[in-house]
Amino acid sequence: MQDISLHLLDIIENSVRAEARNIKVRVINNVQKNRLRIIVEDDGVGMDSHTLEKAQDPFYTSKLQREKKVGLGIPLFKQNAEMVGGTFKMASEPGFGTVLTVDFTLDHIDRMPLGNLKDTLLNVIIGHSDVDYCVHLIYRDKAKEQCFYLDTKAIREELGDIPLTYPDVIEYIDQSLFEGIQNTNMEDV
Amino acid sequence: MKTLADLKKIREKAQEDMKLRGGNVRIKISVGMGTSGIAMGAREVMKTFLEEIAARNLSDVLVTQTGEKGLSSMEPVVDLIEEGKPKVTYGNMNPDKVKKVVVEHIVNGRIVSDYVVATGD
Ligand SMILES: Nc1ncnc2c1ncn2[C@@H]1O[C@H](COP(=O)(O)OP(=O)(O)O)[C@@H](O)[C@H]1O
Ligand SMILES: [Mg+2]
Repeated sequence: MQDISLHLLDIIENSVRAEARNIKVRVINNVQKNRLRIIVEDDGVGMDSHTLEKAQDPFYTSKLQREKKVGLGIPLFKQNAEMVGGTFKMASEPGFGTVLTVDFTLDHIDRMPLGNLKDTLLNVIIGHSDVDYCVHLIYRDKAKEQCFYLDTKAIREELGDIPLTYPDVIEYIDQSLFEGIQNTNMEDV
Repeated sequence: MKTLADLKKIREKAQEDMKLRGGNVRIKISVGMGTSGIAMGAREVMKTFLEEIAARNLSDVLVTQTGEKGLSSMEPVVDLIEEGKPKVTYGNMNPDKVKKVVVEHIVNGRIVSDYVVATGD
């Protein structure tokens, strides 16, 4: 995986596979604290402590058909964060959901770039249009704080019986994300 | 700035459109978005489908994504599912191939056999 947004896509796929109905994604670009923080929270089936531990181990997957293969998504993300002085935390409660918090040091010379956050978010919103997403982007420095919010529930309310996957709606969400990413200085992190 | 108010206009237009063609899904596209697919470029494949379909206003085509399809040596993998027809699976996809599949298969109804890696159920 070449950048953080691709890892984010992979992590959100896990949440969907865990039958999440609501996924909250926060990206916090905190220049003051020199920290880039990614938080993904889902209300899927969750994991017990054994699975939670195993999920971070590069030689484990719960997918039956791949029993002998390895699930690499989480271990790779963890490794890519920790290698450059970042932290990777995953907490889970069976029956309630999972929260993943990954911190990167913003100015670390070997940190992977954030990458194309817009395409990751657009893909998961449209590609799993029965799931609701709450996207929150935050930029902070000494002088200011800038926020962007996108809530698919609010969009659905305006749309009535028109699906999120209608072409003009896809363009609307694409454009909203584009503006939000610009306003929170995340296009080139 | 995009606001929720913009959605009202979209809704009105879409409702007219749905009245005309009944809101049916003619073709479903399913892009494999497992870890290996993502590493091989599945996100760009999906994005290109979305762009091409929006550009042609193909409101009867649905683009979705799924996990691994067990064809990891042929990622990115895409299924085209059309009612009453066998499923067509395209492999080793990239944005240029996607553009061709949209024009040939989705618009003109001709399978692009060069890219097909599997067919059936
Ligand atoms: N959000 C989540 N909710 C519940 N279980 C999860 C979640 N994320 C990961 N898991 C569990 O951890 C395992 C390992 O995940 P991962 O490293 O991404 O590999 P893979 O997805 O290929 O199995 C998954 O198979 C699943 O059992
Ligand atoms: Mg995974």
